[in-house]
Amino acid sequence: MEFKEVVGRRRSIRYFQSWRPVEREKIQIMLEAARQASCAVNATFMKAIVVERDKLDANTIEALKTPVSGQIELAPIHIYTYADTKAFHGAQGRLKKLVDVGALNASLGWSHKFVDEFVWPNILKPLAENIPQSIALVAGDVGVAVCQAMLAGVDEGLGVCLTAFVPEPVKKALNVPDHWVPLWCLLVGYPAESWEAGGQRPRPPMEEIYHEGKYGTPFKPDPKVTEQLKEQKLLTAPAPLPWRKAEVKAMAQMFGLPE
Amino acid sequence: MGDLKTPLDGYSSVQTWYQGLREQSGVDPAADPSRLRLLEEFCRSVELDPDEVVKACLLEKEGRDTKISIKGRKRVSQMVDDFQKQAENLSTRERAHRGNTIRSFLIHNGILLQAGVQH
Repeated sequence: MEFKEVVGRRRSIRYFQSWRPVEREKIQIMLEAARQASCAVNATFMKAIVVERDKLDANTIEALKTPVSGQIELAPIHIYTYADTKAFHGAQGRLKKLVDVGALNASLGWSHKFVDEFVWPNILKPLAENIPQSIALVAGDVGVAVCQAMLAGVDEGLGVCLTAFVPEPVKKALNVPDHWVPLWCLLVGYPAESWEAGGQRPRPPMEEIYHEGKYGTPFKPDPKVTEQLKEQKLLTAPAPLPWRKAEVKAMAQMFGLPE
Repeated sequence: MGDLKTPLDGYSSVQTWYQGLREQSGVDPAADPSRLRLLEEFCRSVELDPDEVVKACLLEKEGRDTKISIKGRKRVSQMVDDFQKQAENLSTRERAHRGNTIRSFLIHNGILLQAGVQH
């Protein structure tokens, strides 16, 4: 699939073919996409545990549910994602390695000495020692990686959905280290609902959320580009599609869920 | 519960349920009379009227926003599970319909009881 179509097809899928296993190779593809994501100081802040739902006991599944994640038991694969707060450690060596491989260059001010005498002691060490201060940065990085995993999943024909989860039962069941901060559970499976899942979700107009030059001057989209994005399937039919309620009713009946 | 006023569609929580079914689920509540019948059966079995069932899931304190009571929600969730299991000689699907009808009532009144896939 072309990238723009992948972006356009991504939905939060909530009804999965709960009976159908996901091929391990597809999970590896998703994890590889996450692994290759941009990350500050080349620190892989995102850590994850891939779990097959059917290998979790019923009590753990029940304990995982939050008021807004009913679909957790429909997805055959759960990828529990965390921010590893110790990933800052080793940043000094990794930054110098990036200098060595030409990723960070003297033309932009980088050198081993700069890393050892300025960047590590003045920027990274304080961040490593002050998790509440650094968690926003770290969580942002995990978000980037998770997004790449999601889009890779869509490209493989899978349904994906990020959901909250109750961390304590997962920590207990999966032996999660204390220094991993829980973030999102990425649910994965083959969609039982159509890929459209009712249509592309409403979003605020670009002019309301993006600015140009300075805050207060809206970024005005070019209608020709908008049309092009429709042709390239990044922009698709908006929700609600006319048959969506009937589809949800069918899902409810299939899975024995309330209406 | 005082005397249960039947038919139940006079209760405000039932009106809220019906409105939700129509507007959000695209379902005509009148099309399936078993809905109201099952709700009445449930209310009689727990000795609460529909409005009281909803209230049992809430934490209301003077001067504060109403919140969902975790204990209340668990208690009512158990009542729904028991109600679902009660009817013998019904298929799994029919029993699921009993529980899901009450869960639907609660969901449209803002109370989510996550019972999961029933069959």
